[in-house]
Order: sequence, then C-alpha cells, then structure tokens
Amino acid sequence: MKRMVEFTVNGETREMAVDTCRSLLDALRDDVGLTGTKKGCDVGDCGACTVLIDGEPVNACLVLAVEAEGRSIETVEGLQPGVDTLHPLQDAFMRHGASQCGFCTPGILMMAKKLLDDNPRPTDEDIRFGLSGNICRCTGYTKIFDAIRSAAREMEAARS
Amino acid sequence: MNMTTPIEPREFKIVGKSVKRDDVLEKVTGEAQYTGDIKLPGMLHGKIKRAAIAHARIKSIDVSKALAYPGVKAVLTHETVPRVLHYGSPHPRSASCTKDQYILDDKVRFWGEGVAAVAAISEEIADEALDLIEVEYEALPAVFEPEDAAQPGAPLIHDVGPGGNLVLDPVRVNRGDVDKGFAEADFVLEGTFAGGRPHPAYMEPNVCVADWDGSNKLTFWTSTQTSFMVRGILAEVLGLPLTKVRVLVDHMGGGFGAKQDLFQHEFLCALLAKETRRPVKMEFTRHETFVAGRSRHPCKIWLKQGFKNDGTLVARDMKLVYDSGAYGSHGPGVTIVGTTAATSLYRCENVRLEGRCVYTNTPINGAFRGYGVVQSYYALDIQMDEAAERLGMDPAELKLKNVVRAGDIAPSGHPIIGHGLEICLQHGIDVLDWKALWNRDRTPDPKRPHIRTGWGIGCEMHGSSAYPGIKEQGNATVKVNEDGTVTLLTGAAGLGTGAHTALAQIVAEELGVRFEDVGVIHGDTDVVPWDIGAFASHTTYLVGTAAKMAAGKVRAAVLARAAMKLQVAPEEIDLSEGKVFLIAEPDRCMTVSEAMGPSRGIPAANIVANGTYEPTKSYSFAAHFTEVDVDTETGLVEVKRVVPVHDVGRVIHPIAAQGQIEGGIQQGIGHTLTEDYVIDKKTGRSLNAGLVDYKMPLSMDMPDIETIILEAAPDPGGPWGAKGVGEDPIIAIGPSIANAIHDAIGVRFHHYPITPEDILKALREKGA
Repeated sequence: MKRMVEFTVNGETREMAVDTCRSLLDALRDDVGLTGTKKGCDVGDCGACTVLIDGEPVNACLVLAVEAEGRSIETVEGLQPGVDTLHPLQDAFMRHGASQCGFCTPGILMMAKKLLDDNPRPTDEDIRFGLSGNICRCTGYTKIFDAIRSAAREMEAARS
Repeated sequence: MNMTTPIEPREFKIVGKSVKRDDVLEKVTGEAQYTGDIKLPGMLHGKIKRAAIAHARIKSIDVSKALAYPGVKAVLTHETVPRVLHYGSPHPRSASCTKDQYILDDKVRFWGEGVAAVAAISEEIADEALDLIEVEYEALPAVFEPEDAAQPGAPLIHDVGPGGNLVLDPVRVNRGDVDKGFAEADFVLEGTFAGGRPHPAYMEPNVCVADWDGSNKLTFWTSTQTSFMVRGILAEVLGLPLTKVRVLVDHMGGGFGAKQDLFQHEFLCALLAKETRRPVKMEFTRHETFVAGRSRHPCKIWLKQGFKNDGTLVARDMKLVYDSGAYGSHGPGVTIVGTTAATSLYRCENVRLEGRCVYTNTPINGAFRGYGVVQSYYALDIQMDEAAERLGMDPAELKLKNVVRAGDIAPSGHPIIGHGLEICLQHGIDVLDWKALWNRDRTPDPKRPHIRTGWGIGCEMHGSSAYPGIKEQGNATVKVNEDGTVTLLTGAAGLGTGAHTALAQIVAEELGVRFEDVGVIHGDTDVVPWDIGAFASHTTYLVGTAAKMAAGKVRAAVLARAAMKLQVAPEEIDLSEGKVFLIAEPDRCMTVSEAMGPSRGIPAANIVANGTYEPTKSYSFAAHFTEVDVDTETGLVEVKRVVPVHDVGRVIHPIAAQGQIEGGIQQGIGHTLTEDYVIDKKTGRSLNAGLVDYKMPLSMDMPDIETIILEAAPDPGGPWGAKGVGEDPIIAIGPSIANAIHDAIGVRFHHYPITPEDILKALREKGA
C-alpha cells in the first residue's frame, strides 16, 4: 500500500508516493537518489545510515519513510556549507585519515555533527560515547577521534 | 634479481608525506559511488534461496509457484545453470587452488548454501518468491569439526581432492634433525592451541550488478579485491572470451582479504541478467555476509619445542589443522602459508611441520588479513613466553635472543633482508623502558583490588606478495598529457587503504611532477593493465614498483624531448616539480607542458610507458607491546594501551600506514577477546550472524594506540625500499594480549577468543 509523504531533505522539499513499509533509508537512496547514506545492515546495528531528523540522529533503516512526514532530514550530502567549501568535520576527516573504505563515513560524520552541535568542546570520553552506535571496521577509530577533536577546535576558533 | 639491487639514497619531495587522499573527498561528501549505489533503468533484484540443512542431496526443486508469482522474472536452479567445476579462489597463477565448486549443485554442503536464485522487479518480491520454492532434501550425515571429518568412515563432503575430507595433501616442511634437536634440549614445552572463527565484517555487504548489452557482452560491477580474477573465471565458467566480460569496481567498502573469492551470487547475478535480458543487482543482507561470506579458518595446533637453558631453541615440531568449511576457497593457500610461516619468526634449525586442511559442513572459510599466520604465530609467541617463564627470563630478552635476523632463511626460502624484527623489538623495549615495566611491583592498586594489570609482547613478520605460492606480477601504465599532467592506469583495487594515493605519490616522485598533477584511472578491466588483485600486503610493493618503472621510462622520454627542444644533451637536464631545467643553469628551464606541446613543426608528444614487475618477496616486521586490565570479578579484559612498532622499509604515506596498523589492531583485539562466528555443532546453523551478536571492538573499547613506524630494513624489491603493512598488525596483537593476560593473572590461555567466562573459570580453577 502506498501513501503520499512530504518531507524536507537538506533544505529541499520532496513529495512522493511510498510503500507504507518502506524505510526512510530505502526512500532516501532509491526514491530521492541520495546514495551517500549507506546500508550496512538494514537492522539498526551498524550506524552507517545515520541521518538527522529535525536535528536528532536516527538509523534511517529503522524509520519508516511515512514517519518522516513534515520533518526535516539532513544527510551527508547536505553537510557542505557551499559547493566549494567543506564542513570542518569533512576537512578534518580528510586531513587526519579518518576515512579508509569510507562506508561508515557518512553516518559517522552526521553523528559527529550532532555531537559538536550539542557539545562544542567534547572530552575524549564524550567523543567515544557519541560514536558508540557507529561501527568502523577499518580505522581502529583513532584517526576519527583525532579528526573530531581537530574539527571541534577549528569550529571553536571560528566562533570566537 | 631484485634482492641484490642497492636502494638509491635520495631526498624525497612527495614520498613520505601524508598528502591528501583524493578518494576521500568523495567519501566525506557522500559522492563516492559504491556498487550498491548503482541503479540502472529496468534493473531487477536478485535473491538467493538458502538451504536450511547442513548436508543433503537435493531430491527435487519445484520453482513453478515462484515463477508464477507476479513480478518474478526468472528462477535458476542446479538444473538450469551451466555445470562447470571451478575454483573458489581463482588465482590464475597459483598452484594452491582446489576446483570443488559448481554455481549450483544438487548437493548442499553447509547450512546457508544457495540452492536457487530469483530475479524480480523488487527486492521484496524476490524475497517473497524464495519462500515459494519447494526443495525436497535427502539429509546426509554431517560433520562440523575437522577431527570428526578426518575420521575413517566419516561422511565425505566432496568427491574431488585427495580424499578423507582433506582439501589438499598434507603440507610438510622438514629442516635439520628434529629428533636430534629434542635429544639435545635441556627442556621441552608441549601444548595445544585453538583459534576461533573471526569474520572480517567489512562494512559494505557483498554486492554486484550485471548488465548484458546487445552484442552479448557482460558489464559487471562488483565489490571485489580481484577484478581480473572475477573477469577470468566468469568468462571461463560462462564460456565467453575476455573481450565479452568487463568488470568494474570503483569504491569498495572494505574487504580485508575476504572479497577475493568469486562468489556464488556473482555467477547467479550474471546468469539472471542473461536470462531476463535486464540488469540485475544482487546485494547481500548482513546475515548473508556472514553465512555466505568468508571467515578466518578455525585452527587446532599442537606445538612441541625444545630449548637449551640459555634460551636457544633447538627443535620445533608442529601440527596444524585448519577447518576449511564446506569448500576449498583459500584453504590450500592458508595452510601452506600458515604452516611454512612456522619455520621462521624465532630461529630454530630443526623444524618439522605438518599442516592439514579439512572440509567440514560449515560456512566457507577464506582469505582474511593475516592469512593462516595469525593462527601459527599465536601458538609460537605464547609458547615463547612460556619458555621465558620456565627460564625465569624476561620474555623480551628471550624473544630478542631468538628473533630472525638478516640472512636467516624466510618462509619463502629467501634470505631475510635486514634486522627488522630485532630493531622493532629493541625500539619498543627502549621507548617503554620495558625492563622497568617488567620488573615493576605487581601489587594490585588498593583502590581497585579486583583489577590486575599486565603487559605482553607479540612479534610477527609477514610477506609482501604471495610468492612463492603465487607467481605475482604488477603492472602499471603511465601517460603524460600535453598539458604536463600525468595519468596512471592501474588495476589495483581501492579497498580503502589509500593505495591509489600511494601509487600516485610514487609516480610523481619518480617522474618529477607535482602530486596534484597525477590522476589515477582504476577499476575497469577494459581499460587498465592486468592486475593480480589487492591482497598479500603487496599493492605498494608490487604495483608501486611497476608504477615507478613506468614513471622512470616516461621521465626519460620527457627529458629526451625537452633536450631536443632546448638543444642540449639529455644528461645536461633534470626534471623536478613539473619543470625541466639545465643542471648547470637552473634558470634555463621549461615546463613539462612546454616539453610535451607542439612547436616549430614538431607535433605534440604522445608519451606512454608500461611497467611490469615480477617480484619475489619481502618481509615486514612488527613487535606489539600491550597493556591490559583484567577484572577478576567480571572476567572482562580491557586493552588499555598498545605500542605497535612496525618496520615497513619505507613509508610512502605515513597517515595511511598508521591507519592500516590501527585498524588491524582493532580487528586483532576483537579476534582475541570477543569475536567468534559461532556455528552450532549439532545442526551447522549460524548462531550469531549479525553485528549485535558478533561482538567487535567499537569506539568505547579501543585503547590508546601509539603507533611507531620504522624504516629499519628497506627491501630492494619495493619502491625505495617500501614493503607491505596491511596484514602485519593483526598478527602480533593477539599473542601480545594473551601474554599480557598471563602477566596480569598468571593464567595461560592457548585459544582465542579469550572470553570473560574463560577468565572466571580459570581463576576459579586456579583458586581451587
């Protein structure tokens, strides 16, 4: 059974007919065409599909597309402030080698954005806890921690 | 012969610097295209019907209901696919393969094996159709442990092979006189060791897309480390010339070795697309990634070694039994590499080794980072600690005395170059002030008396390249464009290691252009030179050298052309940072672009060169120093600090090399403490095929890792001495943890994973 649904993705309004059982992840990837958000398990275990809904992080595989009605979704494709500029987190991930295969990266970036939005000066423990729902199998997390610490410092410096 | 070529001394401009990896820009913006992101017009979705029985003959398959289900476009069974016996691990130059697979067979050999495939207009419909396929099985007796499978009269899983459920004839290595060695020994240690079944759990589930065009050519996108092997074996099994199979892989979400088999779903996807004349995508669920993926071979080891009272090793007798699962896959390679590895690491002149690989009715084990050596060095390194304990020696001192050194014969049969392992070990000892650490007061902290702290050391060595098991070849093509930019064409896969960046650095350095001016084309078997695949820590070593060779040829051609234009002799000019200049008069210069471009009746140049490199092997080394806290009330082991000291010969990209080491340590901590893909020994069912029940170390679990990379023993076979780094870190971390646990609580564990239950049980027994 299909239903019409309307939500905002990275500031653009989308209206579409979706199966009521379709996950937001599948709707984003297949119907909206934003494949940056990854499917690592489809059952809420790995965090690769982390997106922000009204600023709150969710596993997009565990949310139905119809539940997003009227809400605002941010994905990795919306992270860049401009065409030629990167979010400090994106730049820090590049410089610090925080992305290897890159499959977990979009989800971790969105989770890290939420972390720094709420807590601009996170402790190491805050960062570890903040990422506890996101599996990375390549990096051992060390470079990801480095990148988030570095981005936090840069964002703090830019604000002051 | 590369082993004797001296390494040229040189000042580096690009090599050794952590330049920005350009593949990462796409990854942080979400633009990077992985195979699962591909959507073609009219694309169907394929799904595989999997057996819910571990060993059976298929009496009948009825697909009529599935075929009649609205939206279903094709169903394939063993009756309708080509019956071609093929390799699971199709290394074209390898002698160590076993042909034991059919695309679909009338027999089931493990719980979860595919028995039929469906293509439908949606994943959901394909999934629903699987339930409509009716399969009637005749159950066969099944065996789940190698010791049961190797018993006389055990049910045979395959008709091929040497028989007795052996995947290959036993691998035997004999050096010196082992019996004489034991007779001369002052004491003998003997023990059995057991390794679990860790799973690589790469983040991107296996996925492929197949599309046939009007000329009957197959275009095949797949997440693979070995695109040319996929091309070769698909062509062979489907009866096509290589011109009719094009394999594409752009970004891939990890592999760690396991994505170098040719998987059942890859054949089925191609066949479903052929049958329906529409593109078909097949994507594993996470559950399938466990069940139909590849894990590390569980291994049982018996190890007996003789020592003199001064710590000299005089005899080593070792038997290893690897569990291959239901098919051969990498069983032969793993058995050969893991067994012969035990000739080395710690010097011993008298060695007798026997490695076996046995079929069982369990999911397939395959290639995985550390390739057979994780298992054998776990045993060697723990027993070395036991010897130190027996001798009342500091284990660091005993290991330092016995580690292999320059000139010792490596597992490959070549003399080892340099004192890499000794230098790594000594460096760690110095940096940590190990002597003081080892002789510290071990009284528990009165504020947390239930916590015991321990330190342990693990050593390892691993080859860059799979020689001599595989006769390797690296290829690269380098072109200079008329604007002075450079294009590198390589078949090396981009698993996420940063290999393409390292290759571009090598080309820029050798050619004398800026790093930003080198573009890399990869991942299209119709375009790039033949490649053996990304495995065995060999991309930088093997393809790096080929790229350096091609760049060197191109450099000579650019210099010759510039010399003609400058009207000087080529010896009088040099090329650096994209500029050709007179050595005696550096202000007289021209850009590579000017050298390449047309002028005074000379047309623009077309400069292209190939590099082909057929190496033997180099060895990289590491010593890991690890601190753990053991909670004697809960049995939990917390890895607190790891100081990995690695020799990689020459660092091309420091951050990428560190990333390999730190990621390998993460996986190794998991293997040693929490990760085990568990198969029910009564039914053959998978018990924890998911990322919640299969426990990997995550952000809260990772220790501080203080990575140290040394350029201690450069190898003349790699670019400017560079060697591999990918496999090494996962090998040394395991025994370092097991040895640290012993230091903490005085209990020896000979298996992995070492679980909290094991710790508590051992502490109870020790207390009793």
